[in-house]
Parts: sequence; structure tokens; C-alpha cells
Amino acid sequence: MGTLLLDGLTKRYGEATAVAGVDLDIRQGELVALLGPSGCGKTTTLRMVAGFIEPSAGRVVIGGRDVTRLPPYARDTGMVFQSYALFPHMSVADNVGFGLEMRKVGRAERDRRIAEALRLVRLDALADRLPRQLSGGQQQRVALARALVVSPAVFLLDEPLSNLDAKLRSEVGLEIRELQKRLGLTTLMVTHDQDEALAMADRLVVMEHGRVLQVGSAEDLYERPANTFVAGFVGRCNLLDGTREGADVFRLASGAAVPCAPDAAAAGGKLAIRPERIAVAPDPAGTGRLRAVTYLGARTEYHLELAGEAIVAVSPTPLPDDPRRRLAAGDPVRITWIPDAARVIPAAESPAR
Amino acid sequence: MFALILPAFLVVAALLVGPMVLLARISLNEYSPTQLMVEATTAQNYLNAVADPYYRGVMGTTLVMAFTCTALTLALGFPAAYRLARMESRWKSLVTVLTLIPLLVGNVVRAAGWLGLLGNDGLINATLRGLHITASPLQLIYTPGAVAVGTIAVVLPYMILTLSSVIESIPRAVEEAAANLGASAFTVFRRVVWPLALPGTVAGCVLVFILCMNTYATAVLLGGSQFKMMAPAVYDQFSKGMNWPFGAALAFILLGATLVLTVLGTALLGRRYAR
Repeated sequence: MGTLLLDGLTKRYGEATAVAGVDLDIRQGELVALLGPSGCGKTTTLRMVAGFIEPSAGRVVIGGRDVTRLPPYARDTGMVFQSYALFPHMSVADNVGFGLEMRKVGRAERDRRIAEALRLVRLDALADRLPRQLSGGQQQRVALARALVVSPAVFLLDEPLSNLDAKLRSEVGLEIRELQKRLGLTTLMVTHDQDEALAMADRLVVMEHGRVLQVGSAEDLYERPANTFVAGFVGRCNLLDGTREGADVFRLASGAAVPCAPDAAAAGGKLAIRPERIAVAPDPAGTGRLRAVTYLGARTEYHLELAGEAIVAVSPTPLPDDPRRRLAAGDPVRITWIPDAARVIPAAESPAR
Repeated sequence: MFALILPAFLVVAALLVGPMVLLARISLNEYSPTQLMVEATTAQNYLNAVADPYYRGVMGTTLVMAFTCTALTLALGFPAAYRLARMESRWKSLVTVLTLIPLLVGNVVRAAGWLGLLGNDGLINATLRGLHITASPLQLIYTPGAVAVGTIAVVLPYMILTLSSVIESIPRAVEEAAANLGASAFTVFRRVVWPLALPGTVAGCVLVFILCMNTYATAVLLGGSQFKMMAPAVYDQFSKGMNWPFGAALAFILLGATLVLTVLGTALLGRRYAR
């Protein structure tokens, strides 16, 4: 059990910088997700914590102990690999017992803890099977049990759900989250899937080009994105060009004025509005125009044009007698949002290269 | 598909199975100093070969040489094969080709090279005397050691390439998982890499063992007249002794010994980790 501290963690490959000074403080029992597109440095960061990649600069501190220069086997982390990486020549029980064996745990104690870990992931009936005789979901639970059984100071998850069927994903994600909470495991997870991160993590770290753009709860990131990259990466977002005029007026590039949240923080930048915060109504005198409407069952997407800007709005599909159900492409519409739904945020910095 | 396999099948049947059957028949004939070969059906040639202490010695030398060379080749080849398998740079294909370069030189030419290195006036002895470390030349050439060195140099590429293709099939993440769970580099090797590479190790050892059992040019040119292995002994019977029946019997004893040991080794090692 422990905390995890990353202090200015950096990895350079020649001229290229894969990870550029990541600072992160993970509390005991907290699950933090590194989120970002491929190549953003999240996996490199995780592998530096596990000890598979040597940092160019910075420190990795686990439970107050600086482990930056220690080999992987001396770090006391428990990692679940994306490919699961089970030992194909060992039974499920031997896979789970491997870490205990390395820690010189006696036979009787080892058997007891293997059985307990397998019960925890509901695989006690399959202890004698070989990994290749298990389904993907079962293999993943073996990988979880194998990492959990040694009670690691830090639990590491590398894209834990990416190899599972779409149907299994949310279920397994929830299961991992429950286990992690119940056992109070300090956890660092890597994912490129925002839904996965939003659903499982206490805090999310959005990374791009080796840098941390924002750290916060799912709500922080969604409601108060630090810049346009975060706004676009976490959920969908309309980003409109223009400048702020006064406290709650934003002038679009085309000249039209629209309401925005009276937020002192940002003067310039872009206006960010989530699609589900935009209301659309048929109005012959409306300034907007409907370009296309997509019926998606539970929700309906409206592709709109407002003063030359393309905007997407999403709403729960209206009831059959609602006038919005009769909207068709080309119709004039009234587009509205409450000022607080539209925030002016700075554009993402272009990466320093 | 069968039509495509047919030409290869016919070539093997005509050029390998045919002569083998013929040789088997010859081994059952009798030898007469005047008529050379007399039609017969007797096992006497086999019995003579097994009873003769000289040929038992030749077989012993051959077995010791083949086992020693196989073991040393495995010990030398495994680290090289591991390194090659785990290479990620663009030099990998170049290194693979470099591994094969020793095979570009024929056995006789290579042996001539070893003579230049190990001979009494060769590079090593000349250097030692030039530096006044030794007064008289060390006997390096025409020793079992010279044969072993010469043989290993030939068979090492086969071992390295066989092993590295198997090691490549072991995912890196499996090794990392073991290290993550607390295994040192040596434990990762012993508990993960070695057992998973075992089928390839057996295949590589079998290949190398067969090549070593049948060493000819290296044994003759680097072993000298006092050193006898089975393949040269067979040749001597055919060319110098003109005793074809006995030579054929020796050939089948060599073949049988190689076959039995190969099958036994594969079965024993293969079963150990098969589940």
C-alpha cells in the first residue's frame, strides 16, 4: 500500500521528447487515469513507473521511497498488461502464485492466497487450466488476480479493457473499479478511451505531446476544460472562433454576438459549448439554419449553421407530437443556450518541438 | 497440391531412398579380398563392426565429439540468439545475414583457414614464439580440440537462427510480467524464457547433433591421421579398403545411432514440458 509521486518525470529519445516533465501526486487508494491520444506519452510514463523504461530526468517515488533507479523487480508494483502477458506454460494457479513464490511465501500460505485471489475474480473453478483454455475475459481476470495477490504498493493498468468485447467493457471496468476501491489500491491507469477513464477514475490526467494539459475529476474536465484540446478530447464540443466583448457577450468571427459565461479567466480564445447544452426550436424568424438532422433512437443530432459557423446540437429525441420532430434540412431554427453553458477557453498550445 | 509436391517427392525417392535401399542391400553382402563383393545375406558385417574395439572407439569418439559440440554450441548460441531475437533496430536483418556468413565458406576452405591459424607455423604459434612466450610450437592443430572448434564454427549459425526464431515468438510482455512480479533477470530466464524456448532448443540441438555426428572434412583436416570419426571411417572402407559391405554396415550403424539418440532426446525433453 502506498502513494505514488511523479516529479518532473521526463523521457527523451535523442532529439524527440516522449514525456516532458510530468508531475503527479496520487493519494493512497486513488485511481488516476492517464488519458490521451496514441503517442501522447501516457504509456511511456506508466512504463517508467514500472521500471521498464529509464527516465531521462525526474523521480518516481512509491510510498515515500525513491525507486527511480531500481530495477522492475524491486519496485513492488503490480501491473496488468494490455495483452495480459500470462505465462502460457503455467496453470492459472501457478500464474497467480508466481509473485508470491518470488517473495518466498511458504507453500501453505501461498495456496491460501492464490485461492483467495481467484475467488475474488470468480475463477476458483478454473485454477488448473492453462491460459490458452480460457476466454479473453477470463484471462484478463487471471492477470488481475496475479497482480493483486502480492498486495503491490501501486497497481498499474495498461489499457485494461482494450482487448475485450464492447459488451464486456463497461461490466469489467466496473468490476475492476469495485475491486480497486474495496482493496484500497493506489492505481495508475493508462487509456485512450475517454468513456473508460471517465467511468473508472477518481482523477484524470489529459496528456498530449508528452505534457500534462489538465488534471481533474471527470466533472472538472468536462465542465471546465483548461483548453480546446481537453474540451475536444473529453466528450464532444463545439469550438467557435471569435473574441469576447464585455462580461457575457462573445462576438463570432462572422460578426454575430452570442451569450457566454461571465468568466474573468479567459479574455481570448474559443467559445466552447457542449452539443447537449444547445436548444433547437423551429422558428421562421430564427437566425440559424438546419443542415441535417440525424435520428439516433434515444437521441437526435442536429447539424446546424449559425452565422457561418457549423454547430452540432444533441437532445433526447422529442416526443412524436413535438414540433421539432417535423424539422427537416434547410428549415430556419432558433438556436439558444444559457450563458453559463458557453465558456471562453484558450486554444491548446502548439507543441514545442 | 499433390501435383506440386510430386517433383520433390520423386527427386527424394530417386536420389535418397533408392541409394539407401541399395546400400542396405550391400551391407548384407560378403567381402572377399579377391572378388571384393560376394552376394549374400548375412549380418556378419554388423557383428564385426560392433565386436571390433577399434570401431567401438571410433563410435565413442564420434559420440563424445557430437555431444560436446552440441552442448557448447547451445551455450554459445543461446545468448546470441536471444540478443538477435530482441533486436529492434534496423540493423537486425543485417545481423541475421552476418550470422550466416560462415556458411558461405566451404568446409575444406574453412579448414585451410584454421590450418593457417592453428598450425605449427600458424598465426598463434608464430605470435607466441615472436613474443618469446613459448620456445617450441604448441600442438594446436590435429587435436580433438581443433576439430571441436572447427565444427562449432560451422554449426553455430544453425543453432542461432533456430533459437532466435523461437525466442522471437515469446512476447516481451511475458518477460516484463515476470520481472514486475519480482523475478530477477536470471529467474526470468530460468522460469519463463527457457521453458518457452525449449521446443526450439530441442530442434536446434537435434539439427546440430546430426551435423556433428556426420562431420567429415573438419574431422579429417583438423583431426589429423590419429583422430577418427565415423564418417571418415565409412569413406575409408569404400575408397581405400574397397570393402563396400563393411563400409555400408558402418554407415547404417552411424545412421541408426544418430536416429535413436535424436528420437530419444526429443521424446525425453519434449515430454518434460508438454502439457
